[in-house]
Amino acid sequence: MNDKAKQARDAKERYTPGVIPYAKMGYYEPDYVPKDTDILAVFRITPQEGVDPVEAAAAVAGESSTATWTVVWTDRLTASENYRAKAYKVERVPGSAEQYFAYIAYDLDLFEPGSIANLTASLIGNVFGFKPVKALRLEDMRLPVAYVKTFQGPPTGIVVERERLDKFGRPLLGATAKPKLGLSGKNYGRVVYEALKGGLDFVKDDENINSQPFMHWRDRFLYAMEAVNRAGAESGEVKGHYLNVTGATMEDMYERAEFARDVGSVIVMIDLVIGYTAIQSMAKWSRANDMILHLHRAGHATYTRQKNHGISFRVISKWMRLAGVDHIHAGTVVGKLEGDPAVIAGIYDTLREPRTPENLSHGLFFDQEWAGLRKVMPVASGGIHAGQMHQLIDYLGEDVVLQFGGGTIGHPMGIQAGATANRVALEAVILARNEGRDIRTEGPQILADAAKTCQPLRAALDTWKDITFDYTSTDTVDYVTIPTAA
Amino acid sequence: MRLTQGTFSYLPDLTDAQISAQIEYALGKGWALGVEYTDDPHPRNTYWEMWGLPMFDLHDAAGVMQEVTACRAAQPQKYVRINAFDATRGWETVRLSFIVHRPADEPGFRLERTEDRGRTIRYTLHAYATDKPPGRRYG
Amino acid sequence: MGDAAPATPPGSRRIDLRTLYADSEIGPLLAELDNDLVGLEPVKRRIREIAAFLLVTRAREQLGLSSGAPTLHMAFTGNPGTGKTTVALRMAGILHRLGFIRKGHLVSVTRDDLVGQYIGHTAPKTKEILKRAMGGVLFIDEAYYLHRPENEKDYGQEAIEILLQVMENQRDDLTVILAGYRDRMDRFFESNPGFRSRIAHHVHFPDFADAELLSIVEKLALQAEYRLSEEARVALRDYIVQRRLQPNFANARSIRNAFDRSRLRQAMRLVEIGAEISADDLVMIEAADIRGSSVFANSLPKSSP
Repeated sequence: MNDKAKQARDAKERYTPGVIPYAKMGYYEPDYVPKDTDILAVFRITPQEGVDPVEAAAAVAGESSTATWTVVWTDRLTASENYRAKAYKVERVPGSAEQYFAYIAYDLDLFEPGSIANLTASLIGNVFGFKPVKALRLEDMRLPVAYVKTFQGPPTGIVVERERLDKFGRPLLGATAKPKLGLSGKNYGRVVYEALKGGLDFVKDDENINSQPFMHWRDRFLYAMEAVNRAGAESGEVKGHYLNVTGATMEDMYERAEFARDVGSVIVMIDLVIGYTAIQSMAKWSRANDMILHLHRAGHATYTRQKNHGISFRVISKWMRLAGVDHIHAGTVVGKLEGDPAVIAGIYDTLREPRTPENLSHGLFFDQEWAGLRKVMPVASGGIHAGQMHQLIDYLGEDVVLQFGGGTIGHPMGIQAGATANRVALEAVILARNEGRDIRTEGPQILADAAKTCQPLRAALDTWKDITFDYTSTDTVDYVTIPTAA
Repeated sequence: MRLTQGTFSYLPDLTDAQISAQIEYALGKGWALGVEYTDDPHPRNTYWEMWGLPMFDLHDAAGVMQEVTACRAAQPQKYVRINAFDATRGWETVRLSFIVHRPADEPGFRLERTEDRGRTIRYTLHAYATDKPPGRRYG
Repeated sequence: MGDAAPATPPGSRRIDLRTLYADSEIGPLLAELDNDLVGLEPVKRRIREIAAFLLVTRAREQLGLSSGAPTLHMAFTGNPGTGKTTVALRMAGILHRLGFIRKGHLVSVTRDDLVGQYIGHTAPKTKEILKRAMGGVLFIDEAYYLHRPENEKDYGQEAIEILLQVMENQRDDLTVILAGYRDRMDRFFESNPGFRSRIAHHVHFPDFADAELLSIVEKLALQAEYRLSEEARVALRDYIVQRRLQPNFANARSIRNAFDRSRLRQAMRLVEIGAEISADDLVMIEAADIRGSSVFANSLPKSSP
């Protein structure tokens, strides 16, 4: 009786028309224990001056779930306490005066099964423009098994991709055809042929190669396939070219993908800018057509790079593993593009492992179980060359596509020689690693030895010996593992 | 023409000591090792003949090398490769595969083109060796 | 490089055996052998001799004296339960630490693992086992069963031939230890001179004396946190005398089984008491727990009740 009376009084207070703090509306529950089926998110919040961090966290929880700015009586027609997202933990970011990590739990039924568009409309819908927070970043998510199971995932996955390509035990090698723009279809195919004949497994269209006046997409597909098949005949290997099927509409993309399939390509490519729904459509199409699906992350750095605002790339990686791509560009550590080693390690694990345990020093805030979803092959691309082969393999492992664009096509002895240099360097480092040698320290010697019987590698090592991109990363981890004294 | 399938085809042919070291690496990972041979080098020829069953529970490369040696002796004019199979959940596939013997002469492949609708071309890869019946290829 | 070292007369080059011994880390293995195994003095002596021989072989090699790949195959003879397998395991460790085998594992087999049931079955089976043993020690228990002189077409002969070939040609790859009863092994070697000539070391494992068997039980009890009462000790002595007379006596193995069964009887006794019991009760094996054995029932013609 007493309880009932109290409930009635609470409800009266809660639903009195007007504006009350989000925390009071039930979006902050410090005692809440997340359920196994909850979707969890951790946001980095920078509250406006004078805004209490707990209230800011509750506001984020509210705005990314059921709330609006004022009290609405229609909440009372729902089991609203279930639908409210709950900020259950708010902590100051280590070493920061103004940033907080807000942990928020969402009930599974807030989301449509198998739809990244629906998930993101909630989580990054309105809330990122919300005034009480100066800046907001979605750092990480825990996707429950019940939710993971509603997604198809990668159409092919690392295991089947390797079996289909008959390539095991080493990273795959690729290159982006250069120059990015302006080549005719026939000239473009020449670049593809030379690189594949020299020893690469894949060549790639660049993200903005679609169907421009200098080269319509059908021209490109036809000449690229001539190159792929010729190089296959010269080597006895399965070769591929990522035919970029990105287009203005889904109809265009399906038309291009179907043509790629009909001319015998093993792989097609899309850009992240086509949007989550289009990506899921292409994933479904690829599964139905035995196609490897390569995703170029065009545009991501506009919202992943700055640490205080946007979405971390590890979250994008999780979404893309759900949505279903086979390849995704995920950083090189040593190349020309952004990439802190610890952050990259966390992202690579997210893409490749059957489960990833919480590991704050790699930026992983939650245990994540992938429930049999296939593995995504990360792609390392941008400003890397043969002389870094030992570092790349040491950081990134063997289940990765290493793409040397300039490092192949810019080789002083030609594209074939550039490709051969990369392949020989790759095989030599893997051979040495398997023999138990420490490639991190002995790498330069291993490469120099391999170059004794490979002139193109010698030339590559000489040309790019001092090229490194040593800048501080902007996206770094907040928790540093301090090695305990041995 | 040099068939460049396998993990180490761009390096000079591996010596037996190098092959042993790779086998030791695979054994250290707990992978099972199989020896396979073929005289049909087509990249889509997935099922090479097995030289006996894959070898499980070995501790040392010598046992595998014994089979490699025996297979080379019995099939001197064919390709021989070693596959290392990983039975771990989530992999359950080959993790390392490399050629350890090849025929003296490798004639390579002919690329056959058939013109199709529009400017489309259908491609077929044809190994010259397979012009002859099995067992009589490669001299 | 051609930097000619000043010629040292071969006889004056030196090597420190103690360093070699320490580096090989076989000391702890030999100490374990001493401490863990009760009795077996002649065996321990032989193992030390073999270890010393191997160490000297290594030293000779390092000074460039001819040694060749030494033959290391061995025969362990003795009755069941005299510690042959246990010592073989230690031997694998010693051979490994001195670098005579690469991995140091032991693969223990009997005839059934090597010999097949039909034509063409034996060679693959034997080779499979040999491949598994590569880098380690192949321990063939009751090796004489490989040879069945009464059956000319026995497939065992095929296994023997493969084994002999590997024992001769792949001495670097594995060491074979043949084990079994002494008399049967002697006969086996007589009819298979090929084996006899390839065995470098014969080690005989004598039966355990009564007192040794008793201390084996005490050691087991200590490890398992049990104690024997004075009366239990007396009972155990009687037990050993009786058990030895009965068929299938297997030295340490029989006595270990007897101890395990006495634990079962102790447990039953305690449960039947049903009252509150102390930790001491849980630890103590009493005479009744030993005397309950059927060994006594069968051997002592007691007056029926």
